[in-house]
Amino acid sequence: MEPIASHENWRNCFSKVAPGLLLFARQWVQSAADAEDIVQDAFVKFWRRNHDIANRGLLYSAVRSLALDFIRRDARRARREATVLAETGPAIEPHFELEDDTQSALAAAVESLPRDQREVLVLKIWNDLTFNEIAGALGISQNTAASRYRYALTNLKKTLQPQ
Amino acid sequence: MNDFSELEKELRKLRPAQPAPVLFERVEEALKESRAGTKERRSLVRRWGGLETAHPWWSLGFGLAAAAVLILFAAVAMERRHEHQQTVAQRSPAPETRPVPLRTERSISPSGFVPAGGTNLVYNARDEGLHFADGSERPVRRVRYRTRQTWRWRNPETGASLRVSYPSEEIVLIPVSGQ
Repeated sequence: MEPIASHENWRNCFSKVAPGLLLFARQWVQSAADAEDIVQDAFVKFWRRNHDIANRGLLYSAVRSLALDFIRRDARRARREATVLAETGPAIEPHFELEDDTQSALAAAVESLPRDQREVLVLKIWNDLTFNEIAGALGISQNTAASRYRYALTNLKKTLQPQ
Repeated sequence: MNDFSELEKELRKLRPAQPAPVLFERVEEALKESRAGTKERRSLVRRWGGLETAHPWWSLGFGLAAAAVLILFAAVAMERRHEHQQTVAQRSPAPETRPVPLRTERSISPSGFVPAGGTNLVYNARDEGLHFADGSERPVRRVRYRTRQTWRWRNPETGASLRVSYPSEEIVLIPVSGQ
């Protein structure tokens, strides 16, 4: 990936990172619109401060921090959304562009993972972060990040195994 | 090679949902706004010398100016004391001898700067009425002066000059005599 904030072509960079960032943001907020607000704020701050790709973890850290702030600020709405989700099922606004049933099953399995495993998986698979970067973004050790990733894959495999 | 490679490959095939096109416009707008905000801030700092928008810098500048003034006052005071002592010493044994010229002595002072004048511009004076000072039975009139003091020093050898200007506030208590 090219350096993120070292040149003016933000559109090119944003189009590369935005889908992964949105997916990451949606680990906390269910609404795609809220996730877009969070990603927008985080990216604008990141870009304005001319951070380099070497500090890519900062961008994800900013998204996470803004998402957690959003949840705290909007706790009542979050509860209402959780109630709606419980009633209607998790796929109001899909996190992935699905092509077939196999992918639907895989996406559902990902969404059923515990959040701490899912956020590591999202950063690793769809954002191409190293364990070191993941550790920085989530404020955990590199070993913890790697073990959560392994747990996530193990759980997915168990879920997807034919009964 | 781990036994999850197949699963990882399948996961990578899943494409995250794409952002709405309007998000790009919103980001562009926000970046433009932030750039405009930065430019506006910079221009204000230039226009007003950073007084309103860069208060910490203004404070720092004022602090440094005040420190410089204190140091210069200390240096001038020491110089004067030294000059006075020398004059007294010279007068006692030989009253006819003139004191050593100030200019000569000052020119060899470590700083090399001699006071070249000062102004105290009062731009506001406010009568705050009569007050009783602590423990006093006689009233005093309190007058608050807002001034700008400017001090100048000059180095006769190099021709360099130094000018320090700072705002100051002074409260004067004037005893009021009863008729």
